[in-house]
Amino acid sequence: MADFEGSLHEVADAVISCKKEKVLEAVEKAKAELPPEEIIDKGLSAGMNQVGVLFERGKLFLPHVMMAADAMTAGVKLLEEGMPAGSREKKLGTIVNGTVEGDVHDIGKSIVSTMLQSAGFEVHDIGRDVPIRNFVQKAKETDADMIGISALMTTTLQGQREVIELLKEEGLRSRVKIMVGGAPATQAWADKIGADCYAENASEAVSKAKELLL
Amino acid sequence: MVTEYALRMGDGKRVFLTREKILSEIEAGSGNAADLGEIPDLSADEIDRLAEILMMPGKAVSVEQGMEVPVTHDIGTIRLDGDQGNSGVGIPSSRLVSCMTHERAFGADTMELGHIDYSFKPVKPVVANECQAMEVCQQNMIIPLFYGAMPNMGLYYTPDGPFENPGDLMKAFKIDKAKDSMEHAAEHLTRDTVWVMQKLFASGADGVNFDTTAAAGDADMYGTLNAVKTLRALYPEMYIEMGMAGEMVLGMHGELEYDGVRLAGLWPHEQAPLAATAGANVFGPVVNTNTSKTSAWNLARAVTFIKAAVEASSIPCHVNMGMGVGGIPMLETPPVDAVTRASKAMVEIAGVDGI
Repeated sequence: MADFEGSLHEVADAVISCKKEKVLEAVEKAKAELPPEEIIDKGLSAGMNQVGVLFERGKLFLPHVMMAADAMTAGVKLLEEGMPAGSREKKLGTIVNGTVEGDVHDIGKSIVSTMLQSAGFEVHDIGRDVPIRNFVQKAKETDADMIGISALMTTTLQGQREVIELLKEEGLRSRVKIMVGGAPATQAWADKIGADCYAENASEAVSKAKELLL
Repeated sequence: MVTEYALRMGDGKRVFLTREKILSEIEAGSGNAADLGEIPDLSADEIDRLAEILMMPGKAVSVEQGMEVPVTHDIGTIRLDGDQGNSGVGIPSSRLVSCMTHERAFGADTMELGHIDYSFKPVKPVVANECQAMEVCQQNMIIPLFYGAMPNMGLYYTPDGPFENPGDLMKAFKIDKAKDSMEHAAEHLTRDTVWVMQKLFASGADGVNFDTTAAAGDADMYGTLNAVKTLRALYPEMYIEMGMAGEMVLGMHGELEYDGVRLAGLWPHEQAPLAATAGANVFGPVVNTNTSKTSAWNLARAVTFIKAAVEASSIPCHVNMGMGVGGIPMLETPPVDAVTRASKAMVEIAGVDGI
C-alpha cells in the first residue's frame, strides 16, 4: 500500500524548505497516489501554515515566506492540470487590506497582506494613509469578502470605525467581513465598533480570515 | 467563597482571578517565553514572588527600599506639550520647560531632547534648531541630557524616501531587489544618524538614545548597530543607549549579520550582547503585550524574557515599560496598578538595571 501520509509530509516539508524544485518534485510524486485537492489541502497548505508559524517564531523570514508561497503556487499549477476546469485557481476569498487615513505605518500591514496572499487569498493591498472611502470603493470594485483595516496610532483608530459606518451607509456591511489590527487595536475595540474580528499578528490574521471566510 | 484579585487584561480591562488561576497564568506566560526564546522558565520561587506582587492589596506598589533603579524618559520633551497623537498631555510648554520639569519636578534621573517628528531623518533639515535647543537645555540643567530619536528606516522607502518599498517588491516576488533596497536604506540610516549626532554632540549632548531600533526589521537594526559602532569610535566617552522596538527582530531581509550573528529572529537575550559589541552603554529590551491575555500571563512572559536578557548582557539593561510593552496593558494612559506591579516585578525578579 502506498504511503499516502508520507507523500503529503514530503510535499509539506518541501514547502517549508522554500525550494520550488523540491516542491514540484514532491507534488509530481504525490500526484500518482492522491487526488489533487488532498495534496493542496493536506500537503501544500499544511506546509504553508507551518511556514507562517516558523515566521512568527523567528525561524523563517519574509523572503522565505515569499519563496515558499511562490513554490506553493507552482505546485498548485502543476496539480491544476489534472483538475476539472471549474475547480481551478479557486481563491480562498478576496481581501482588501490597508492602513487608515492619517496613519503612515506600512510594515505590519504589508506583512499581513503577504501572509494572507501566501495562504491563498486574493489580496488587494491599497497601501497606507488610505482615505476611508477608498476602502469601500476597492471592496466594491473587487467584490471583496473582507476588508482588513490597520491603524498604528490611538488617534487613527477611529478610522476603523468610520470604514464600518460607511459600509453600513452603502448597504454593504452584511456581505463584507471586517478585520481590524494594529498596535492600539484590541478585541474590546473590535467589539465596540462592530468589527467581525481582531487579529494580534499576521498568522492570527490568516487563521481568523479562514475562520470567517471558509 | 474563594478570594479573587483584581488584575487586568492586556487591553486594560478589569479581570478578577483566584490565586490558582493567577499561578496558572504565570506558568503559561513564562512557558510561552521560554518556548519561543529557548530560555529558562521562571523558577517556582520567582513564580510565587510574581503572584505575590500581582495580589498585593495596594493600588500602587513600589520596589523595596534599596532596590530603586534609574528612570529615564524617551520622547520626554514633547510628553507635556504634545497632544494624545504623540502620547502627550497637551500642556503648552517649551521643550526647555518640559526637560526642566522632568528634572526638577518629576525626579527623572536622565532626560532626552527629541524633535516632534522623533526620527533621525527629518532632523537633518532642522539640525541647527536642534543644536540650539540642546545648548539652551544644557545651560539650564544638571542631569544627563541625551538626544533621542527613532532610527525609523521606513522613512527611506517610497513614498517617504529614495528606495523602493521592500514590502511592495516582496509582494511582487522581487526578493533580491527588496534586499538591495533594504541594504541601501540601512547605509543611509547609518550615515544620517552619525551626521546628526556629530552636530548634537558638538552642541553638548551627553549621549544618544536610539529609540525603537529594528522597527523596520533586521536591516533597521543593522543600520543602527553600525551607527552605534561609528559613534563609539568617534566619541569614546559618549553615552549611547540602544532601545528596541519589539521583542523579536523581524526578518524582513533575513541574511544580514552583525559580528557574525544573523540579526533576523533574535530575541532580547540575543540582542543585548550585540548592542554591547557595537559599543552601546545601555540596552533597552522590549517585550510586547498581548491584549487578549491577562496581565499575569503578559507580565510573567515579559519578566522571563527580560531576566534572560539581563543575564546575557554585559551592559546595563533598562527595560522599556509603557503602553503595550513590559507587561503593561495597551492603553494611552496605562493604569497605575498595572504599571507599578510590572515595574516592581522587572526590578525585583528580572533584575533590570533601570527603566
